[in-house]
Amino acid sequence: MGSNENEDMEFQHRNEGSLNCPSSGMSTNPLPDKVSRMTMSSGSMFKPSNAPDHFFGSGWDPLVSLSQSDNFGGSSVASQSDFTNPRYPPIAMETQGMSSTSHLVQYPSDSSYVEMVPKLPCFGSGSFSEMVGSFGLPECAGISNPGCVANYNPNRDGGIDRTSTMGAQSNDDRQISEEGVLGSSPNGKRRKRVPESSPIKNAEGESNKDMSGESSDYLKEQDEKKTKLEENTAANLRGKQAGKQTKDTSQSGDAGKDSYIHVRARRGQATNSHSLAERVRREKISERMRLLQELVPGCNKITGKAVMLDEIINYVQSLQQQVEFLSMKLATVNPEVNIDIERILSKDIMNSRNGGGAIFGFSAGMNSPHPYPHGIFQGTLPTMPNTAQQFPSLPQTVMDNELQGLFHMGFDSSSNIDSLGQTTSLLKPAL
Amino acid sequence: MSMNSRSLLLSPNPNSLKYRFTNGLLSALSRINRKQSQQPRSAREIRKRHRLIKAAAYGSMASSVGNRRAWSRALLWKIRNQTRRGYAARRNITSSSRQLSMKKRICDLQKGDQSKNRVEVGGMGQVDKLRRLVPGGQIMDTCSLLEETAHYMKCLVTQVKVMTSIVEIYSLP
Repeated sequence: MGSNENEDMEFQHRNEGSLNCPSSGMSTNPLPDKVSRMTMSSGSMFKPSNAPDHFFGSGWDPLVSLSQSDNFGGSSVASQSDFTNPRYPPIAMETQGMSSTSHLVQYPSDSSYVEMVPKLPCFGSGSFSEMVGSFGLPECAGISNPGCVANYNPNRDGGIDRTSTMGAQSNDDRQISEEGVLGSSPNGKRRKRVPESSPIKNAEGESNKDMSGESSDYLKEQDEKKTKLEENTAANLRGKQAGKQTKDTSQSGDAGKDSYIHVRARRGQATNSHSLAERVRREKISERMRLLQELVPGCNKITGKAVMLDEIINYVQSLQQQVEFLSMKLATVNPEVNIDIERILSKDIMNSRNGGGAIFGFSAGMNSPHPYPHGIFQGTLPTMPNTAQQFPSLPQTVMDNELQGLFHMGFDSSSNIDSLGQTTSLLKPAL
Repeated sequence: MSMNSRSLLLSPNPNSLKYRFTNGLLSALSRINRKQSQQPRSAREIRKRHRLIKAAAYGSMASSVGNRRAWSRALLWKIRNQTRRGYAARRNITSSSRQLSMKKRICDLQKGDQSKNRVEVGGMGQVDKLRRLVPGGQIMDTCSLLEETAHYMKCLVTQVKVMTSIVEIYSLP
């Protein structure tokens, strides 16, 4: 339904917004280490030219120093991005999107993220090198930074890939040829992949399973350490690290189950296909719960699904009980006359307005032709007003309810039921 | 003083759910009243009327919603099955096969729910309670169940409002 389209639009917006990310990312340098690191990497990914001077200026030197500090990843990324600039500009647009900026702000000091960044340069690890070769590197947990320096230059591509994972660019670069063929599913946009056909996805998925397996392991470790953040960049990076195609296919595979709901793994969240689908499901459910919260009166302050569900159940039960009670009441009431639908619906309208004038007019008009029982003014409603009593005038102080009752009574007591339909006709200038 | 009250009154929107529901309910009520003798006083008669009126209320509500919602479809199906219970025994194919397919669907859905560890919702069996409350809720997944609940709640509110005003009109004279 529309939700799918909305999600797609959101992703598109994210991609479009990616252009703005680098600058914003750069501005977040003073943020806590992790955040800054992320920003740096992402920022550098997008627009190396915009990378903060202090990051680039350090060149490789900061790598060593950074490795000891939290800024390692950031600087290394930045420097890497420097080299990769020529290649990335086109990619920069695509993958990161808004997520990088958004998650710059929101990254809590997450130690695991710190580790992520340093890993980029650590191509030394065997597994990583393999990965680097084929895809962007997934976050390498705990790779010694100093050791990576030596490998950095030769593994520039790999490093770049990693940085790109941060910015999801490396994957793009590597796989750009492949992706280009596929119409460059822009930065993990499975949109293009999904329609391609599941067989293709499956093939890619299988071929990449090894890599994705390894990367997912790393990712899982990361996940366990990290709290789930709703930052897109991280997730995007991860997705890209594991090899865009793999992730895309796996993710798009999930999307395929969902009639092509495109999901992007967010940073700090597992990119396992099952968890992605679960996340989509959970988001849908929370969205529906919010809608329900607005419907149920007095539930604005309730947070939490369990309490909210309790309220919803109570409310539905009370409504059903009310229907039961009203139907019982209707069963006991004697049906005297046919009721015109307009009367019922207009009654609500009249209730809503202070129809004093209208009611007075009505009652006055009806006064002469229709006798009213005396009980009306007392608020009691005895049997039909077929008494011979006549009220010469209606006191102006009668409450609205009673006036409305009078109005309806006039209808009821009228022997000419047809005239009831003509509500206004009663307002004859009979006065 | 003649006032054109019609200008003051907003004519009800003939396409609104409220209008359609009111129409249906009123016609059903008049049908019920015609069939029964005037002044039903015995408790049994009143109970019977109560049941008929309640069925009429839910039936007309479901009819005015039509087939657009799963809960209204389920409600209509239930009502029609109830009336056709006598015939269904003879025409085993249609009703029983449909029941079987519905049961199968229920089982599948429940299995699917369990396999995916739907832990985050209904920590204390609340979702099950909701399923029982909303007509047709047994064969929906949790996500659609919430959506159907929202629409069902809106219709219930409308139902209560209209019935309240009917009762008021009835009890006025």
